[in-house]
Amino acid sequence: MTWDFLLGQFAAQFGLWWVIIPAILLGIVVGILPGFSPQNTLIMLLPLTLAVPVEQAMAFMIALYCANHLAGGIPAILIKIPGSGGAAATTLDGYPMTQKGQAQQALVLCFTASVFGGLITTLATIALLPWLSQIGLYLRSVEMVVVMLFGLTLIAVIAGKDTLKALIGGFFGLLVGVIGTDHIYNTPRATFGFLELYDGVPLVPALIGLFAISEALVMIEEKMIVDQAGRERAMHARWADTVEGLRLSVQKWWHIVWTSFVGLFIGLTPGAGASIAAFVAYQQSRLWSKHPERYGTGIPEGVIAPEAANNGVTSGTLVPTLALGVPGGSTAAVMMIVLQYHGMVMGPRLFATNPEVAYGVFVSMAVAYIFMIFTILPLARYMSRVVLIETTYLAPIIVLVTIVAAFGERQYLFDMSLALVFGVIGYIAHKTNYHVTAILIGILLGPLFEQYLVRALRISQGDVTVLFSSTIGNVLWGLLVLSLALPLWRGYRQARRQTVV
Amino acid sequence: MKSPLGADLVIPALALGFAAYFFVSIADLAWEAKANGVMIGGVLVLLVAIQVAKIVIQLARGRASLGFEALWAPRDALAKRIGLVGVTIAFIATLKWLGLTLGMLLALFAALWIMGARGKALLLIPIAVAAAVYLLFVMLLQSDIPHGPIEKLLS
Repeated sequence: MTWDFLLGQFAAQFGLWWVIIPAILLGIVVGILPGFSPQNTLIMLLPLTLAVPVEQAMAFMIALYCANHLAGGIPAILIKIPGSGGAAATTLDGYPMTQKGQAQQALVLCFTASVFGGLITTLATIALLPWLSQIGLYLRSVEMVVVMLFGLTLIAVIAGKDTLKALIGGFFGLLVGVIGTDHIYNTPRATFGFLELYDGVPLVPALIGLFAISEALVMIEEKMIVDQAGRERAMHARWADTVEGLRLSVQKWWHIVWTSFVGLFIGLTPGAGASIAAFVAYQQSRLWSKHPERYGTGIPEGVIAPEAANNGVTSGTLVPTLALGVPGGSTAAVMMIVLQYHGMVMGPRLFATNPEVAYGVFVSMAVAYIFMIFTILPLARYMSRVVLIETTYLAPIIVLVTIVAAFGERQYLFDMSLALVFGVIGYIAHKTNYHVTAILIGILLGPLFEQYLVRALRISQGDVTVLFSSTIGNVLWGLLVLSLALPLWRGYRQARRQTVV
Repeated sequence: MKSPLGADLVIPALALGFAAYFFVSIADLAWEAKANGVMIGGVLVLLVAIQVAKIVIQLARGRASLGFEALWAPRDALAKRIGLVGVTIAFIATLKWLGLTLGMLLALFAALWIMGARGKALLLIPIAVAAAVYLLFVMLLQSDIPHGPIEKLLS
């Protein structure tokens, strides 16, 4: 790969602006709506992507995929409804920023963290592709069990004052996540007799119920979702607020960089996705912060970490797809179908036989992110005015439109009822401080955790010491213990200091 | 004043009931199928037991009551909340016959009326939203959502 080749690739991708910009706009619309994942949209648009040349098809799919990851954070910030699982962690600080009248700054932080996080990791992927493609081979089920535990520790982290309630919520979610057939024998567990639950609890209805519907049922208690001061700020939203968001992004540039690499690292593993990346990045960001107690109150780092990470995942997901022929996620699987339809053979040889496609995919991603920042940044000012809509109108629209969106993922009417059930559970949890986010983390990570754990135990014939049998795994265990011990050590030091004073 | 902690028992009760059902449903399965569930369910039961014990201690000391006020408060929003859930249930139940567009139009009209909306907004918002969902879900994404009289008329 030479510089001339790379520059030629960039020039070719910039020439596809007429494909990339509509794909970005469609990706944003679809990303804002919970229930419409990029893979569903790409499947629906398969006839189109199969009919056009492969370079155009890939540019379209990549731009839509990246824009979708970015847009999930918009409703998460404005109305506490994540557009996708990857944006669920964004609600933790994004929505409090909105409530403080800083919706525009939060949106700008979301956009810049997403775009630069995605761009940096994409460029790193292009530079390090031969080495990165090997990482997936070293991250096996044993190591992934520990990665999942990193995400699960966030349940305790977000607990605030009432750890017990957060743990009950988290473990309840984990048990709900185990519903469905098991990974070895495919025997159904706790499905209440519903065939629709054999594949497990679908994520989208759970997400819609726990966040959108429960939030709508709570928001009707007030006339608006922001207080008087926040309304004033939203009403007089100025470009200066966008500039302020940009200033904060520049100030926190290192945060964007390292949390996006958390996403890239997790994305390299087939099966792991944006949700786990966002939660792990948020947990790590809080862990290494000088002021962890401010997380959850609406601080820029709390928006940057999950957004940079869930966009860092995008390039990582495509590495095993292209280099090993193992799709890193369901969207990557759809892209693989299109590439194979056009006669591409996935695997290491792709980089020798069709470098313009193999590297072109990542160049296309970098170009999509560059276009994206210019497309979406000016919209932050206008999007932030959503908070001015009265809850009298907002709540019914949210409930009924998101209930329809719950149908989108699997096209089952059952999922609409399921979303409503989760909505009621979420409402009760919300009103009694049982942390809907903890429940969702459990539902999201429960099936993945089980999958990796059972696989590891199956290989070792039930011997749990297998979990400590690999060097990388043991390093990760060490880091996990450090992650848990550090807050305790800090608390101890703080208490000692106060005693001395 | 005693703090009403009855509402705090709803999620633990749900969790405990579900854990019990889960254990019954996996009783005859191989260890690979139940290892994770037993581990998680076991911890969940333990956590619920601690929470119940905490509340019982509060009750015994006379600091708490078994009231459910936290779930209903504020009272003036309760009717709207129940109405919104009721309309949503009716929307899902009648979707097969009414289809997405007509169902959304009627459900949103009813929900907005319950929420206290009056005037032009009561008509314009349902029409605009129904048209938007028709365009997005039926026309653009061609989803398999049930078609009713409006979709059939426009097809």
